[in-house]
Amino acid sequence: MSATTTPEVPGATPVPLQGVQLDYHALNAMLNLYGPDGKIQFDKDREATTAYFEQHVVPNTIQFETLDAKLDYLVENKYYDPTVLEKYSRAFVKELFRLAYSKDFQFESFLGAFKYYTSYTLKTFDGKKYLERFEDRVSMVALGLADGDEQVARDVVEEVVSGRFQPATPTFLNVGKAQRGEPVSCFLLRIEDNMESIARGINSALQLSKRGGGVALLLSNIREHGAPIKHIQNQSSGVIPVMKLLEDSFSYANQLGARQGAGAVYLHAHHPDIMRFLDTKRENADEKIRIKTLSLGVVIPDITFELAKTNADMHLFSPYDVERVYGKPFADVSISEKYDELVADDRITKTTIKARDFFQTIAELQFESGYPYVMFEDTVNRANPIKGRITHSNLCSEILQVSTPSTFNEDLSYDHVGRDISCNLGSLNIARTMDSPDFAKTIDTAIRALTAVSDQTDIESVPSIRRANDLGHAIGLGQMNLHGYLARERIYYGSAEGIDFTNLYFYTVAYHAIAASNRLAIERGKAFGGFEDSKYATGEYFDKYTDGEWKPATERVAQLFAAAGVAIPTQDDWRALKVSVMEHGIYNQNLQAVPPTGSISYINNSTSSIHPVAAKIEIRKEGKLGRVYYPAPYMTNDNLDYYQDAYEIGYEKIIDTYAAATQHVDQGLSLTLFFPDTVTTRDVNRAQIYAWRKGIKTLYYIRLRQMALEGTEVENCVSCML
Amino acid sequence: MAPTGKLKLIDRVTAINWNRLQDEKDLEVWDRLVGNFWLPEKVPVSNDIQSWHTLSEAERLMTTRVFTGLTLLDTIQGTVGAVSLIPDALTPHEEAVYTNIAFMESVHAKSYSSIFSTLISTREIDEAFAWSEENPHLQRKAEIVLDYYRGDDPLKRKVASTMLESFLFYSGFYAPMYWSSRAKLTNTADLIRLIIRDEAVHGYYIGYKYQKGLAQVSQTEQDELKAYTFELLFELYENEVAYTDALYGELGLTEDVKAFLRYNANKALMNLGYEALFPKEDTAVNPAILAALSPNADENHDFFSGSGSSYVIGKAVATEDDDWDF
Repeated sequence: MSATTTPEVPGATPVPLQGVQLDYHALNAMLNLYGPDGKIQFDKDREATTAYFEQHVVPNTIQFETLDAKLDYLVENKYYDPTVLEKYSRAFVKELFRLAYSKDFQFESFLGAFKYYTSYTLKTFDGKKYLERFEDRVSMVALGLADGDEQVARDVVEEVVSGRFQPATPTFLNVGKAQRGEPVSCFLLRIEDNMESIARGINSALQLSKRGGGVALLLSNIREHGAPIKHIQNQSSGVIPVMKLLEDSFSYANQLGARQGAGAVYLHAHHPDIMRFLDTKRENADEKIRIKTLSLGVVIPDITFELAKTNADMHLFSPYDVERVYGKPFADVSISEKYDELVADDRITKTTIKARDFFQTIAELQFESGYPYVMFEDTVNRANPIKGRITHSNLCSEILQVSTPSTFNEDLSYDHVGRDISCNLGSLNIARTMDSPDFAKTIDTAIRALTAVSDQTDIESVPSIRRANDLGHAIGLGQMNLHGYLARERIYYGSAEGIDFTNLYFYTVAYHAIAASNRLAIERGKAFGGFEDSKYATGEYFDKYTDGEWKPATERVAQLFAAAGVAIPTQDDWRALKVSVMEHGIYNQNLQAVPPTGSISYINNSTSSIHPVAAKIEIRKEGKLGRVYYPAPYMTNDNLDYYQDAYEIGYEKIIDTYAAATQHVDQGLSLTLFFPDTVTTRDVNRAQIYAWRKGIKTLYYIRLRQMALEGTEVENCVSCML
Repeated sequence: MAPTGKLKLIDRVTAINWNRLQDEKDLEVWDRLVGNFWLPEKVPVSNDIQSWHTLSEAERLMTTRVFTGLTLLDTIQGTVGAVSLIPDALTPHEEAVYTNIAFMESVHAKSYSSIFSTLISTREIDEAFAWSEENPHLQRKAEIVLDYYRGDDPLKRKVASTMLESFLFYSGFYAPMYWSSRAKLTNTADLIRLIIRDEAVHGYYIGYKYQKGLAQVSQTEQDELKAYTFELLFELYENEVAYTDALYGELGLTEDVKAFLRYNANKALMNLGYEALFPKEDTAVNPAILAALSPNADENHDFFSGSGSSYVIGKAVATEDDDWDF
């Protein structure tokens, strides 16, 4: 934390935070050890939560006589941003806090509470005392996002405190605080093939890491190793040195100490440096080229699969030459479309590798490091309703938006401000959203809350991002707790019912999300910039919903929707929405994106994203938390069957589930693949082929589970047994 | 180190044929060890620098000394221990496994150096090494084990080696596990967990080979070896308790570490095929430490928090035409 002045702390008594008695960490760890009766000790986790509050939270929380006294103290001492509170009467602010407190919120797991107090809540500047409870944080976030609108503030409190909607970490962490980073999750930048753009890219990476979430950069346009500079051959050193510079930049910048800067870089499969790029993650890579903390992604077009199918060579094309011949950056040229033309063109320098070797190398690296992520370029661009080209994704591989290049003057000022990408995220808890008294309202509130983040964001340090945000108001509504919900309803993940539910749920969410964005456009009298060129404006986007009928394929799913009182939109509903959208537009260029939801799903008591649990008792390790154990939501010793983990479930069911969701999501979904360490690179390749065939847009991490060699395991350990 | 007599080498060498296994376990362990190969450069220990400075001086001193102690043990195991087992090997594949073990122990020893050079100054490193040279308990521990490595009895060598792998390291491993359960030095803990992952397999394998060898000697000899094992364990345990107090006493952690020692002493005995020595109630390890010990690669981490200790080197198999049938 940035140290300014240390305030007087009323009634503070320091409590020793260490000890060897059975403290809350030990109680929490007992979750991972079977009890004497051979059962999972869920009660120990609840005891850990209680002990955590008694031993640590309560003694370290500063108490105030009244809410007024608290608010005054926090504003005067520069903890709360006064401009947030000034938009409301004090009476309303107090009413809102009381509303939040009336909901009787409780953390359902030790990790939820521990994560909240460790990473989110407002602390004194010396980091030693807590100044907020969960309800306070929710109220301040609501006040900040509602920007003076009392009804919106009430709605946001209702949705967040009830656990239906959870804003992403940067929003939930920062809004309402006086000393804070940006509330935005994610940034994506292009780098073009010139020194100014590279330098500006590094500057932007530093600036954005300092302020908010992760940054992903596109490297595909940078000329390859050995390419000419000023027409002199063998001058360029390719993408690796740029990666090194970026890695060090991210290590340097962190967000007020909240977390390390994190970055990703994407490279096209047909870029000549692709193998060098991948080899940076080798276990035995030389220090000079080894990349430790930067995340890697590859962009793979359909043609690469076609070439692998016939076991052909794949040509790699010099981006420098392609840009000179086609007059536009390499990443903006469709390699699938132009492949034969590029191969035939003598002006373009090329090299070849075996297409299957390329895929195998990717799988080898994924074994060793979990990287690279994969973006299926042509799938993504076919599904894109917005005019323009999607060239890369982000740090979590769920953001998929169009971008255009910027050009720079020699002093690094902008000659032309192109469009880069930012995205504000927040996720719905599927179980609680299905329980919502008003499903449409929940989604409407979530869309408004996310839009508020976009409206309030003004990234001056990177004009290309500011411009894109001003024009597009892109947001990403995510989802989590799919597995928790299915298990609660005694449905197996990946079963016919499970996939049917996923399809219908995402279908219904898409309808309400577009409807909400359409209402925003009507209220504000404006659609996002470029709406008129989109498939929403032509109505083409709606064809699949107005031409075909979407309804439950299984009795059980029909029952679930009926019992929850959630109406499944009809073709007529879509026809009406289409008319309204074509007339008034929608306010947000992008609406949905399903992130991996690490931290927020613990606070919210959800399973992460829409993938299966990684373990019944998950071992979570983070820099700020250490090693903590997390029980899957709604799990008891009686319903363990429904909590098969991702390794047991296997990749087909996970991909089928994601494919059902993908067809209703305009951006992407973070899809992690899980394998036991007994598989080979061939199995990983088969999973990738299967994902591509099923219309998956991106693949996130590959995760491997290695079980202890028989005879070396820790006795009675829950996560050691299958 | 002073020369210790004639250089022992195996008498004859037969070309190793991995397609003719006398003992399936050799291949299983070989595959596991190769799959687990790693180098310290993989772990971004430098991300712990901030965390390191949040420790008190006493805590830093303890941690530094713990690592010098571990460095010494890994040096012994890499340069003497695992190598001394090679001439006794029953199969050529067993020899190959020992060479892998010896190499990885050297990797471990180097890892501690990489932790040191990242977190502390040269002066502090030198002081800590000086401490380890002078600490009688640490030196005694090294001496006991080295004596058996230099001795003539192949089975006793395996007992000493298993004690080292499964028991003696753990007074040191306690510290990083303790820190990581308190959200300190988590990247260092990742690195140590990689070492634990290796040592768990080493101790298990050497113990297993001991049991194989034991089955081939007379009952009298078996009884003798058992008595010897327990005697050695007592001797080491007593010394270990004193060593533990020297390291952890000031921080009030001694009792907790002792339970951990007893737990691992039982584990070492189990690897050697013997019953537990300490009753269950005396081995009630702090669950936060125990749960952190699991050598499985199963933890979930995010990209903001280091590399984790979960990845392995995979088996590369080319795809076939029918995989691409779309």
